[in-house]
Amino acid sequence: MTLSPSMRLGLSAGSGLLLLAALLAVPRFVESPYALHVMILIFLSTIMGQAWNILGGYTGQYSVGHAAYFGVGAYVTVSLMLNRQVAPWFGMWAGAAAVVAVALVIGSICFRLRGPYFVLASIAVTEIMRLAATNLKDLTNGAEGILATEIPPLKLGATVLTDFGSKVPFYYIGLGLAVLTILATWAVSRSKLGYCFQAIREDQDAAHSLGINPALYKNIALAISAVLTSFAGAFYAVYVGFVDPPTVLGLDLSVQIVLICIIGGIGTLQGPVVGACILVPLSEVLRSNAVPELLMKWGWMNGESGAGLFLKENLAHAHVLIYGILVVLVILFMPEGLVGFLRRITRGRRAA
Amino acid sequence: MAILVIEHVSKFFGGLAANSDVSFSMEAGTIMGLIGPNGAGKTTLFNCITGYYPPSKGEIWFDGRKMNGLQPDRVCKLGMARTWQKVRPLAKMSVLDNVMVGALARTNSLKVARDMAMVQLEVVRLAAKAGFLAGGLPIGERKKLEVARVLATEPKLLLLDEVMGGLNPAESEEIIRLILDIRARGLTQMVIEHDMKAIMRISDRIVVLNSGEKLAEGSPDEIVSNQDVVDAYLGESHAED
Repeated sequence: MTLSPSMRLGLSAGSGLLLLAALLAVPRFVESPYALHVMILIFLSTIMGQAWNILGGYTGQYSVGHAAYFGVGAYVTVSLMLNRQVAPWFGMWAGAAAVVAVALVIGSICFRLRGPYFVLASIAVTEIMRLAATNLKDLTNGAEGILATEIPPLKLGATVLTDFGSKVPFYYIGLGLAVLTILATWAVSRSKLGYCFQAIREDQDAAHSLGINPALYKNIALAISAVLTSFAGAFYAVYVGFVDPPTVLGLDLSVQIVLICIIGGIGTLQGPVVGACILVPLSEVLRSNAVPELLMKWGWMNGESGAGLFLKENLAHAHVLIYGILVVLVILFMPEGLVGFLRRITRGRRAA
Repeated sequence: MAILVIEHVSKFFGGLAANSDVSFSMEAGTIMGLIGPNGAGKTTLFNCITGYYPPSKGEIWFDGRKMNGLQPDRVCKLGMARTWQKVRPLAKMSVLDNVMVGALARTNSLKVARDMAMVQLEVVRLAAKAGFLAGGLPIGERKKLEVARVLATEPKLLLLDEVMGGLNPAESEEIIRLILDIRARGLTQMVIEHDMKAIMRISDRIVVLNSGEKLAEGSPDEIVSNQDVVDAYLGESHAED
């Protein structure tokens, strides 16, 4: 069966709305704070991945330094909240403004380079920012970090909408931001900007000869990507209530952001969503030692044997290792990510 | 009226002169053939004219405007467009999207760009493949796609770098007809080509480069009977034809 583009658009919009309705209803039925926490992390990862996707996926500039924008968004929002009593939903716009300034400086340096050299430069610049945040103690409280647990209540006029006493308001804010980010990416991909971005990704010199100024459009892509990433940073900082340089400006975070897209599928609208839905639960399961417990429960492993004891002791600590192995497997066997892989399979079946 | 004037252009890479003191001018609406042995500096001259390299010396004037130092995107917007010796399709975009990227140099509306692109795809007879991925096209169609894409930028001057390279005789013939069609629409073209029969047929004037220098300039008849050109490039057999 072949579908016309408009039918396909209607179909995906319809299924998207259904999914959204289901997600809106989740907090009415799910009470476990841990389950909500995992969902919130998935939203956060979706925002980060989708934001990166605009620069990395559509424009082809693989930044491994997106922690810079996440961190600046987080620090600005939290500092304004603590020192100037600015509510985070206003502070995040100040964070976004700061991030655009940072992005234009980083862009003007790094976009002179292409391919792997750009990747290295993006890492280096972000490491400089991490070191600066660690040492500028007056501004960032250095390595001790900033603790920010007092969130002002969200009011509409005189009515208090929420005082952030539970995870539910964070759930809805995270969901809202994720939807906003996905819609922003969709709008970009179907505009002149999207065409220019993709032309640069496919062949920068050819794009240049067709009237596209690569430096200008790369900086636009970076600015959009950085602003959305800074929203993720602001949301994270307020939700977790603590920021310090290694967690919000570290290389780990930058790599994590890229992995969401690699696993899900770079340069597709669904990719980062799929990537987030896989990576977040995976890292939670691996971290919680659930795997050896399940193996023992099902009787596949003897908890008293040497191997069993070894796994029970060490598997939770090895979650980064397992995570790494999975990433290598995906890159080897599904280089287009899960979304690209599934598309190829369904296309193959349709052809057969 | 001369649409393009090249005045004493030189391009050095370190000590190597890829172009040295090249001068010529082109009349609007004509086709100029640019020929010469491999390494003669033809593509380097294209790169200088279209803004990829700044010329080391000399001046390039297009449509009454000095072009030295302008970036390729500005050059394109001013009405000069080039194709590439090694084709550069935007592989993971559709054929239509490729041409739309060219059209977007002239409009901000995707709808207008789509219409402009379809017109050019009809011109190169590639409209049936509009929805295909550009990366999957065979070489003959890739060359046509390059032409459609630059036509969509609405140029006054087209620089075609070996658009017939690697094509079979039937495909070459199609491109020749396309080039003549484009001239009939009043566009000016500069064509780099190694197929001497083709270049003699389509060119109004020919410039011969050798070791970076201009060896000769003239009508096709003057070029085939020029002893310097025969010695350096064409060889005796061609002169006897």
